[in-house]
Amino acid sequence: MINRVTNQGLAVAAQRNLQLSLSTLSRLQETASSLKRISSPSDDPAGTADSIRVRSEQNAVAQFSRNISDGNSWMSVVDTALEKTGDILRKVRDLTVQGANDGALSPTQKEAIAVELESLRTELLTTANTKYLGRTVFAGNSDAGVAFNPDLSFTGTGSTVERRISETTSIRVDADGAATFGEGDQSAFALIDNIVSDLRAGVNLNARIGQIDDRVLTISGQRGAVGARQAQILNAQGANMSESVSLETQRAEIEDVDLGKAILDLKAQEVSYQAALSVTARALQPTLMDFLR
Amino acid sequence: MSTFSGLNTAYTGMVAARHGIDVAGQNITNISTTGYTRQRAVQQAAGSLAQVGPLTGQIKVGQGVSVTTIQRLGDTFLDAKVRSSTASSGYWGVRANALSTLQTSLHEPGDSGVSKQLSNVWAAWSDMGNKAGDPAAAAVLLQQSSALATQIADGYTAVDTQWNQLKTDTEGMVTELNDAATQVAALNGLIRSTLNAGGSANEYIDQRNNLTTTIATISGATVRNLPDGTAEVLLGGNALVSGDRSHAVEVTGTTQMVGAAGDPVKLNWVGRPDVPVSVDGGEIAGALSTLAGANASGSGGALAEAAADYNEFATFLADKINTVHRTGVIADGTAGHDFYAISATGPAALGLSVIPTDVKGIAFAAPGAGGNDGSIAAAVARIKSDKDSPDTKWSAFVTTIAIATKTGLQQSALADLSTKAAVGNQLANSAVDMDEEQMNLAMFQTAYNGAARVLTAVDEMLDTLINRTGLVGR
Repeated sequence: MINRVTNQGLAVAAQRNLQLSLSTLSRLQETASSLKRISSPSDDPAGTADSIRVRSEQNAVAQFSRNISDGNSWMSVVDTALEKTGDILRKVRDLTVQGANDGALSPTQKEAIAVELESLRTELLTTANTKYLGRTVFAGNSDAGVAFNPDLSFTGTGSTVERRISETTSIRVDADGAATFGEGDQSAFALIDNIVSDLRAGVNLNARIGQIDDRVLTISGQRGAVGARQAQILNAQGANMSESVSLETQRAEIEDVDLGKAILDLKAQEVSYQAALSVTARALQPTLMDFLR
Repeated sequence: MSTFSGLNTAYTGMVAARHGIDVAGQNITNISTTGYTRQRAVQQAAGSLAQVGPLTGQIKVGQGVSVTTIQRLGDTFLDAKVRSSTASSGYWGVRANALSTLQTSLHEPGDSGVSKQLSNVWAAWSDMGNKAGDPAAAAVLLQQSSALATQIADGYTAVDTQWNQLKTDTEGMVTELNDAATQVAALNGLIRSTLNAGGSANEYIDQRNNLTTTIATISGATVRNLPDGTAEVLLGGNALVSGDRSHAVEVTGTTQMVGAAGDPVKLNWVGRPDVPVSVDGGEIAGALSTLAGANASGSGGALAEAAADYNEFATFLADKINTVHRTGVIADGTAGHDFYAISATGPAALGLSVIPTDVKGIAFAAPGAGGNDGSIAAAVARIKSDKDSPDTKWSAFVTTIAIATKTGLQQSALADLSTKAAVGNQLANSAVDMDEEQMNLAMFQTAYNGAARVLTAVDEMLDTLINRTGLVGR
C-alpha cells in the first residue's frame, strides 16, 4: 500500500518541498544581506565562543592602543621638560663660570649675574613642576599639585606611573623627580641658591662648577632612560597595530561569509525554487478526469 | 426459479451500481477534506435461494448482488504512527522554540551583547587607571558599570518573561486538550449509537481521528480502539476519554519562575490533585520540561537554568571586581569598600547595583601610593585577562545555550521529518486518488448500464411469453 500515490499526498509533498526550498532561500537571503555567517549562537556554538573571545581581545588591543598613546604623551612631556632642564642648567653653568672670574667683575656685574641666576632658578622650579593633563609628571602618583614645594621638599610617594602596553608588559611613563632634581638641600634649586649667595658674599664659585656638572650628568642619564622607554612604547605601538589587524582578520574569518559564495548560493537556490514551482504547477494538474469524455 | 427472479437480480445490480456511484461521489467531493479517509461500497454476491420442496435438484443461480457495508479504508497502525510521531515533534518543537527565543535574547555574538558591555567596563577601568582621580573618567566608569548591571538584569527579565509566557501557553494547550477530549467523548457516543443502529459512522470516525491526532500532538496520549466503535484515549496510563465520558486535566504548581524548583509546574486530574499526570510526549511535556526548576547538576529546565546562570554570573562579576576594589583606598583614605552591591532579596541578576556615585567613592588608588595612583583601577581592568574571568564565564554560558539550542533544533527537525513520513504514509493509504475514483465511476456507470440491459432482456423475454405465446394458427 506504500506505493499508492494520491492527489492529496502529491499536494502535501509538493507543498512541503516548496516550503523547504523557500526556507532555504530565506536563510541564504539573510546570509547574503547581512554577510554574517553566525547570526545566532546555535548556527555555530564553537564559532560563537571564538567570536566572543576574538572580540574581547580586539577590545583589549584597542585599550592597549589608548594606553600607548597616553603613555607616549606622558613621555614626550617628560622628555621636553628634561631637555629644558638641561638647557637651564647649561645656562646656569655658563653664568657660574662667568661669575667665577673674581678679579674681572665689579659688584654690580656680579649682582646682575645673581639676578639672572635667580630667574633661572624660578624657571627650573616651574619646569620641575611640569604638568600633563593636570598631573605633575615628576611626582609619581602624588596629587599635591606640585612636584616640589616652595621649601624644596619633594611631594612624590615613591610609586610610579605605569601604563599597560600589552597583555604582558606595563611600562613606567613618568620620571623620578627626586632622582632628577634632588631633594631639599641637595637639590638643583638649592645649588643655584648657594651659587647666588656665594656670588653676593664674594666667595669663589669654582667649587660649584663641578656640582653643576654632576647635576647635568644626572639629567642626561634620566633623559636617556626616558628615551629608551619611549622607544619601547613606539615598538609596542607597531606591534599593537599589527596585532589589531591580525585579530580583525581572525574575526572576519570566524563571523563573515564570502560574498561571492553567498551570492552564488542565493542565485542557485533561486533557480531551484523557480524550477520547483513550475514543476509543481505541471505535476499537480492532470488527472484521469482530463482524459475521460 | 421464479419468473421474476431475473428482474430482481437486475434491480439489485442497479442499486449496487448506484451505491458505488454515490460512494465515488462522496470520495471525490471530499478529495481535499483534511482527515477524510476514502471509502468503498463493499459488495457481496447474493447466493441462490435454499432448495426446498419437490423440485430440488435443479441448478440454481444467485440472486444478484448486495451492498453489505460502506467500508472506511483507514489503517489503525498508520494512524497510531502519526500520533506517536506528532507527539514527538510537538515535544521537540516546543523545546526548540523556547531555546531559540532564549538564545535570541542573548544578542550574541555582536555589539549589543553582555560580552561587548564587559569589554566597555574593562576599558573604562583601564581609562580610570590612566586618568586616576579624573571625574570625567569616573563618570564614564560608573555609567558603563551601571549599564552592564542593567544589561544583566534585562537578560534575566527576558528569561523570566519567557517563562511566564510559556506557562500561559501551557495553560492554553491544556484548555485545547480538555476541549478536544470533550469532543472525542461526544463523538464516541455518536459513533456507538450509529453503529448500534446499523448505520455508517465513517465521517464521525474521521473527525475523531483528527481530534485524537491533535490530542496526541498536545499531550502524547495514546489511543485504543474498542470493539464497540469507541476509542479510549489514555494519558499517562489513565483514561482521558473513556466511552462517552472525558476527564479534564489542569496545570498546577508555581506561577513564578523562582518557585519552579520547590513547586514545579505539573499536570493534574481536575478534582484529584493527588494524582499527577505523567506526560512523556507532546507539546505539554516539552513545555513542562522547559518550565522545570534549576538543579545542582545544571540539567533542569532550560529557562530556570539560564536564569540561575545569570544570577551566578552577576554574583561572580561582583565578587571579582569587589575583591580587587577592596584592596584600594577611596578619596577619604579608607580601604575595604565594595564597588558592586547585590541586593539580599530577590535574584542576584536583578539586585546588582553600583555603590559609588562619583569619583570619591571609587578605590582606584593603592594605599599610600598617592592620590593620583591608578594601580587598583588598572588591576581591576586586568581581571579580564584572568583564566577564570567574567568574560570566559559569559562565553561558556552562551556556548552552553548555543549547543542546547542547536541540539534542540536538530531533534525538532528530525522529529518533523519522521512526522512528515508518517503523515505521508497515512495519506498514501487513506487519501482519495482522483484517477482511482474516475475509474470506479466509469466502472459503476457501466455496471448500471449492464444491469439495465439485463432488465430489458428479462422484460422482453416476458413480453414474448405473455403477448406472443399461444397465438399459433391464429
